Amino acid sequence: MAEHNSIWEALGFRKASGVGEAGWGRTLIVAIVSFIYFLPVLFIIFTAFKPQDAALSVPPTLSPTSLFGLIPGQFVFTPTLENFGSVFMRSMTAGGAPEPTGFDRYFFNSIVIASSSVLLALVIGTLAAFGFSRYPLKGNDTYLFIILTTRMLPAIVVIIPVILMFRVVGLSGSYTGIILLYTAFNLAFTIWMMKSFFDELSLDVEDAARIDGSSDTRVFFKIALPQVIAGLAATFVFGLILTWNEFLFALLLSGPDTRTVPVAMNQAVSSGGRGTDWTLLAAIETLFLIPVFLVTFFLQNHLLRGVTFGTVKR
Amino acid sequence: MTVVTKMKGFAAAAGLAATLLTGGASYALAEEVTLTMAVPDWPPTRIMKKFFDEQYKPPSGNKVKLDVDFIPWPDFYTRVNASLTSGEQKYNFIVSDSQWLGAFVEGGYYRKINDLLDADPDFKKTLMSVHPAPLAAYSTYPYKSENYYGFPQFPDVLVTFGRKDILCNEEEQKNFQAKYGKKLPCTGEEIDAMTWDDFKNVGEFFRRKKGEMLAGAPAEDDFYGIAFQAGKGYDFSSMQINGFIWQMGGNIWDETQAPAGQAEGVVNSPQAVAALEKYLSLLEYMPPVAKTGTMDIFKSDELFREGKVAMNIDWIGLGEASLDPKSSKVSDKLVFGQMPGTMVDGKNVKWSNIGGQPFVLTTWTTPEQTKEAVDFVKWWLSDDIQHQFAASGGQSAVKSVYEDPKYVTYRPWNRAWAPQLDWQKDVWHVPQFFELLTQQQDQFDLAITGKQDAKTTLDNIAKFQQDLLKNAGLIQ
Amino acid sequence: MRLSPDNWKLAILAGLAVSAAAVIALPASASFWIIGAVAAMIAAAFVVNAYRRKYYGGLLVAPAIAVLFVMNIFPLLWSLGLSFYAYQSNQQSIRFVGLANYIKVLTNDIMAPANWGALVNTAMFVVLTVTAQMVVGFLLAMLFAKQFPLRKYLLILVLTPMMLSVVASGVFFTYYYDPTFGILSYVVNAITGGQFILMSTKVGAVTGIVFADAWMWSPFVMLLVLAGLVSVPKYLYEAAAIDRVSKWRQFWTITFPYIRGLLMLALLFRTIEAFKLADLVILLTKGGNDTMTISYHLIRIANEQNKTSEGAALSYLMLFMVIVLTNLYLYIANRRSQGA
Repeated sequence: MAEHNSIWEALGFRKASGVGEAGWGRTLIVAIVSFIYFLPVLFIIFTAFKPQDAALSVPPTLSPTSLFGLIPGQFVFTPTLENFGSVFMRSMTAGGAPEPTGFDRYFFNSIVIASSSVLLALVIGTLAAFGFSRYPLKGNDTYLFIILTTRMLPAIVVIIPVILMFRVVGLSGSYTGIILLYTAFNLAFTIWMMKSFFDELSLDVEDAARIDGSSDTRVFFKIALPQVIAGLAATFVFGLILTWNEFLFALLLSGPDTRTVPVAMNQAVSSGGRGTDWTLLAAIETLFLIPVFLVTFFLQNHLLRGVTFGTVKR
Repeated sequence: MTVVTKMKGFAAAAGLAATLLTGGASYALAEEVTLTMAVPDWPPTRIMKKFFDEQYKPPSGNKVKLDVDFIPWPDFYTRVNASLTSGEQKYNFIVSDSQWLGAFVEGGYYRKINDLLDADPDFKKTLMSVHPAPLAAYSTYPYKSENYYGFPQFPDVLVTFGRKDILCNEEEQKNFQAKYGKKLPCTGEEIDAMTWDDFKNVGEFFRRKKGEMLAGAPAEDDFYGIAFQAGKGYDFSSMQINGFIWQMGGNIWDETQAPAGQAEGVVNSPQAVAALEKYLSLLEYMPPVAKTGTMDIFKSDELFREGKVAMNIDWIGLGEASLDPKSSKVSDKLVFGQMPGTMVDGKNVKWSNIGGQPFVLTTWTTPEQTKEAVDFVKWWLSDDIQHQFAASGGQSAVKSVYEDPKYVTYRPWNRAWAPQLDWQKDVWHVPQFFELLTQQQDQFDLAITGKQDAKTTLDNIAKFQQDLLKNAGLIQ
Repeated sequence: MRLSPDNWKLAILAGLAVSAAAVIALPASASFWIIGAVAAMIAAAFVVNAYRRKYYGGLLVAPAIAVLFVMNIFPLLWSLGLSFYAYQSNQQSIRFVGLANYIKVLTNDIMAPANWGALVNTAMFVVLTVTAQMVVGFLLAMLFAKQFPLRKYLLILVLTPMMLSVVASGVFFTYYYDPTFGILSYVVNAITGGQFILMSTKVGAVTGIVFADAWMWSPFVMLLVLAGLVSVPKYLYEAAAIDRVSKWRQFWTITFPYIRGLLMLALLFRTIEAFKLADLVILLTKGGNDTMTISYHLIRIANEQNKTSEGAALSYLMLFMVIVLTNLYLYIANRRSQGA
């Protein structure tokens, strides 16, 4: 394909150079695969822009533009921004005046709760992972496994004791309670993930630094930590995604003031005195997608850098 | 002492402390009373809250606040159940499906209000002004006993939603008459008079493929005559099937006969089997989603609003969306009537399962709060507020309100409301309702998706109920 | 015994005495806080002790263990305890019954068949979804392993499905599969001219659920594998190219060791999550067409029907299975890595 054609090269379709690199040919293949993979999401995003009466039309409307006549008119819808307004302000009763839906609060809650609990879990979990990796305790593997088991039971089984506990301590409906719970919820994954990254590092560098008189604290901050930035980024992204969308704990432990978006999202599945409000649901989900999408996008460079500058052990 | 009882002890003590604290606080100020209420998030509860904020003036002169927690419908039970059973003691009022009464009364969460009724003749008079069928369904546990618990929040019944443009089309009228020798029901009165056989004819008659002629124009998509609930979730087939069973002379397990009343032989009686067979025989005329077990009340409503069916049987609670041109493609083509019935000795029998929800008081509500709560309920059930509620899209089961000639002008389905109220019965109120319901729904689903016949289905249900209720001491 | 801030044995003794006194003398709400303070004091003693002895392992791990204990392990032990009692959360009575709940959920005529059915279905879903995710995730990672133009923009497209909330994606999958409105039926009907109803058979329903789940979570596997792939030093490949090592051998000798640990992690976490599969089933089939899973079944028992003890017993049986399976993974993985 492109490799032998100088015009293509002149246009920037350069030849793959060196190991681990591929050219535009790969881009094309991956673009097709990625696009297909992304289609169900794209459909949701498009639905957010549809007028209500186009949401369930048969045949399904697929595009906001006819792409210069490429797409037959029956598949095209006229985009509108109305649904995004409805997320925050809409009439809750038949013919009633639009009123605030509380979603500004729910978005704020989601952001505060998810970001603080994931960061907290990352700090605590990374320390623990370093401990498990470098200073094995007696029965190290057993501890690690017990930590893993905390993720194995469905939430519904542990929820009643947690509700009771929160009530006694006065944490129910508070930010502190749900943040602590989510921190614990994220710890198992954080510890296992970060430990596997620490395990991959070469000990030679750390040992050399110790011989040179560096303290253990210094070794951790100046040598070990910088090498696992990719791991930190990946763990943060995973933790954020899981916490961002957690539903059951949020439903049962948050109060009206600390409710998060995944719980409130079901407004769009029932609150209009009917079943699913497709365009509203799509609009909520689209808005709700933006923060995690951006965080993931900006951390991507770190995700892809990998654990490159330690020579790997073994 | 076990860990559990100990934690319960802590909880109880903390609860007591909280009660003392809040009780003390309200005594000190003597004016601010907050009533906390858990409600499903939908128009009827939003209207209630709005009316309260705009209009309610407590006769006591206190400053009363109604703090409403709007919880999305799909998670409402989960949230309320967890709150109640964990001893959170958060809500004073709870909107509750009538089936939940037994489970939560036995748990000690819902407050019996007989003492309040006896202490306040006005209050009693207000509550007794509710039609006896919904009153028994929404307020009594055991069902039809003299123990009262709840007040109607949004009373509801099943009605027939119809498409005037299709049903009254001259061409279709003529062809239907030719084929069945009967008039195709078109007006509300004609729909009221329908039986399930007529309903079936409509289903058979209006099965059109895309492009075939429908009411004088080629159909844009496959079109179906009829729809009703046939879903596996919650109670989305039982509510319809119970109507069939009662109409055709069968019965469900009758808790008012406990402990003498049996499940075996009643639940699977030949009448009940015939009724279920009738119900199943109609499914083939419905949109294809009926074959998946996910045709719930929302799906059939959605199909109707999108113009895919001629007639749908659904709750009035979902009616508002079909009137709204934004969410309905048929908003200007609607006709409403009663649910079809069964001819018994020349009379159209219309037994049907009641829907809607009462709201109840909880046991930890303080005397001050209770006093305000009673005043609030009296206000809520007063003629004026009930009229306003009905005019904004609610329903009223208060006799003087729905018998008022104005009532039928509020909404097009209201003409079917009063006559149907007399035909309402309710399912079990016993604490085991959820076990009974899920097993029954699972079995009905097997029949709906064609995996077993009506007889086997009802035999399985009867056996399960007999065993379960015997263990619970409700059957001897 | 010496009185010093790091004497944790003394701290425990003193703590026990104070707690006991508090429980007897004070109301529960006050003694709860006192016991909490005592626990903090003992923990502090441990920390000081560890610090003085330069026992870093314990120090580093302590905060994590503390949070996990309070928020996770304690409730878990609580429900383990409950599984030996006859207790329903909406009733006040409680009675010790030993193993009766376990026997009941496995052998009772009324309950057991549904439990076993759900267990079998869960096993099926675990195998199908995890396999699909591992395969798709791995292939996607291989596609993205090399550097190529626009890579980061295309990668984010593939990562997006797992960022969706399950409610939204599940509800939209009901739409995609809907026989009247859905895209899938529209396309199939347009081609075959028939009427296609995916969710009306067990095969169709299982396919629908597995597809949605695998679509959402394959990116998770992909990202982990990718993190391993990009960390392979390039000079190893360069050396291999000079030695004319076949691609297949390159993969097994150079690439695989770098991704093995992360593949195992992905397998472990996806298996654990697959056992908890419930929300997609609830949204897509409500357990119809024989797709009931153990987690959904547990929601019914423990939440809808408030049979707390029986739910706890069933969930501990499930936990036992997950533990056996994950241990098996870890055992095999360890043996491999030692052999390598």
